[in-house]
Amino acid sequence: MAAGALHRSIRTIQLHGCSNDSAYTMEYGSSSLKLISKGFTVDVKFLSNRSRSFNHCKMHVFHAFSSHASVIDPTLSTSHVTTNFNQNTSIESSLILIRHGESMWNERNLFTGSVDVPLTKRGIEEAIEAGKRISSIPVNMIYTSALIRAQMTAMLAMTQHRQKKIPIIMHDESLQAKEWTQIFSEETIQQSIPVITAWQLNERIYGKLQGLNKEETVVRYGKEKVHEWRRSFDSPPPNGESLEMCSQRAVAFFKENIEPQLQNGRNIVVAAHGNSLRSIIMYLEKLTSQEVTNLELSTGVPLLYIYKHGGFLKRGSPVGPTEYGVYAYTRV
Amino acid sequence: MATARFHQALGTAQSHQHLQNSGSHHEFGNASLKLISKAFKADVGLSIRGGYSSCMRKSGVIQASTSQTSAQPVSYSPNNSSDVLRRKSSEAALILIRHGESLWNEKNLFTGCVDVPLTKKGVEEAIEAGKRISNIPVDMIYTSALIRAQMTAMLAMTQHRRKKVPIILHNENEQAREWGRIFSEDTKKQSIPVVTAWQLNERMYGELQGLNKQETADRFGKEKVHEWRRSYDIPPPNGESLEMCAERAVAYFKDHIEPQLLSGKNVMIAAHGNSLRSIIMYLDKLTSQEVINLELSTGIPMLYIFKGGKFIRRGSPAGPTEAGVYAYTRSLALYRQRLDDMLH
Repeated sequence: MAAGALHRSIRTIQLHGCSNDSAYTMEYGSSSLKLISKGFTVDVKFLSNRSRSFNHCKMHVFHAFSSHASVIDPTLSTSHVTTNFNQNTSIESSLILIRHGESMWNERNLFTGSVDVPLTKRGIEEAIEAGKRISSIPVNMIYTSALIRAQMTAMLAMTQHRQKKIPIIMHDESLQAKEWTQIFSEETIQQSIPVITAWQLNERIYGKLQGLNKEETVVRYGKEKVHEWRRSFDSPPPNGESLEMCSQRAVAFFKENIEPQLQNGRNIVVAAHGNSLRSIIMYLEKLTSQEVTNLELSTGVPLLYIYKHGGFLKRGSPVGPTEYGVYAYTRV
Repeated sequence: MATARFHQALGTAQSHQHLQNSGSHHEFGNASLKLISKAFKADVGLSIRGGYSSCMRKSGVIQASTSQTSAQPVSYSPNNSSDVLRRKSSEAALILIRHGESLWNEKNLFTGCVDVPLTKKGVEEAIEAGKRISNIPVDMIYTSALIRAQMTAMLAMTQHRRKKVPIILHNENEQAREWGRIFSEDTKKQSIPVVTAWQLNERMYGELQGLNKQETADRFGKEKVHEWRRSYDIPPPNGESLEMCAERAVAYFKDHIEPQLLSGKNVMIAAHGNSLRSIIMYLDKLTSQEVINLELSTGIPMLYIFKGGKFIRRGSPAGPTEAGVYAYTRSLALYRQRLDDMLH
């Protein structure tokens, strides 16, 4: 019946939305979109409210390609569908930033940078806690760095997620990798959350300080020099990156790859590192270099931003499952 | 005092022996034994146990070359991990761990090489596996290119008592190599290199990847699916047979992992059902009939001892709360003893 047709069309559109990604190999025509815009329209506000309880079929409002149709939660009954066509619906998508927790070199007080060091037991717990805090926020795509501590943080966090979609790490390092990781069921693809690993989100490279004990570095180079490298904006350690250099690559990646997804209404999680995330926050909140060098990001505590009307609204940190908090979710 | 000198002599004798030997064959002279028996009337078993609380390399019975006492002091600091000793050891441990439950296992979907992460249960299995191997030396780790095996290895190592830090090596390009450089020798010595290799990936399941097991049986017929899953040499469409998987996994093992074992390095491999079965087929010299009937438990580490060019199966190390009859070798028992001494 009508509802069934609507549900099918919605699935089709969702798939169409995803087919831009190289990992998915399905093409859909726009005929199903027209089906929706002709037959049904939506009261966006009402539906956004209803969809607070996130369940199996994730819902958010997003624009389909060339038409202005809005798409609704397939689990809603058709009795709530009205007939006025709502043009220019505002897209809202959520962006979650998670800084990974304690790594084995943090524990030993060694400069880590982009050495690929894993999490400690405590870092694992932090990741799981972070996951509990975001368990009710929709996630459509995940971006992590190329380092295991960020990837593990993302995967551990997602084991706590209430939505039943499954993160799948995308591989495109070689043709063989692409072929070998192909999925042959459309339904399974729909139930997947692509995970993209990017070196551009790696921690700031600490060059010749990598692996050095913090005390011995001070002894070797002097307290002020080390303080300058760690806390200035544009002073790199030998063979390393300054925060400015790190920002350049991290923010460029964000603008080119992540922001378009947010514009398409996809909800994104970025699991990365202190400096790459600070750089992104500098861009999101338009901070000065002075402000960003004073910015400290808690580990394992997710930060939520809402992307709306092309701008980013800071929403703080979602409360944990046992906390009372004044935390303002949006309608979606 | 006397005990200290005794320890020193033993240490020296040991290092002498290792320095002068190559490969895995040892020449045993009687000289040092006489040295020991002259100066001290020690119960050799007892003294071995009591010695080298900080020397992290295992030792068997003490042998020395024909040389006599030497005044060279041997450093016992853990950081000095006595690389020399390690290289010339006659025995190396090989641990195989199959990762635990993945999110698609839970949903009963064919996974193959699709990069699906672990469930909560899979995470717990990895940690349990880590507890079981927490007393077994690990010098190098090999995993597949898939996150579920890598996570299993990293989760397991959080339980390890030795406290060396696994570091994943990145070789995808010059930049990755450059960026991952470590500039402290001490830190490097406290590191366990982790090598990721696609050759250790799960068997590639081709056009079945992502399909529900029931619907695949409906689509292709129950026998065909059974054949693909359980035969040795029949691949699913666009996929690998167990034979094809074995070819690349065993080749990798022989080319990269076996030489490490030969040089005395203790190795851990965290991988998948089929890639590990293939390796076990090689280690245990199984027939294709035997290997298709081999089931590897998830999250339960399998220990092999590599000695004299041969692989000796040692079963699974008992968990920390299990009263098990688990026959460690003497070297492993000594290693464990040293860990206990070091950490108390």
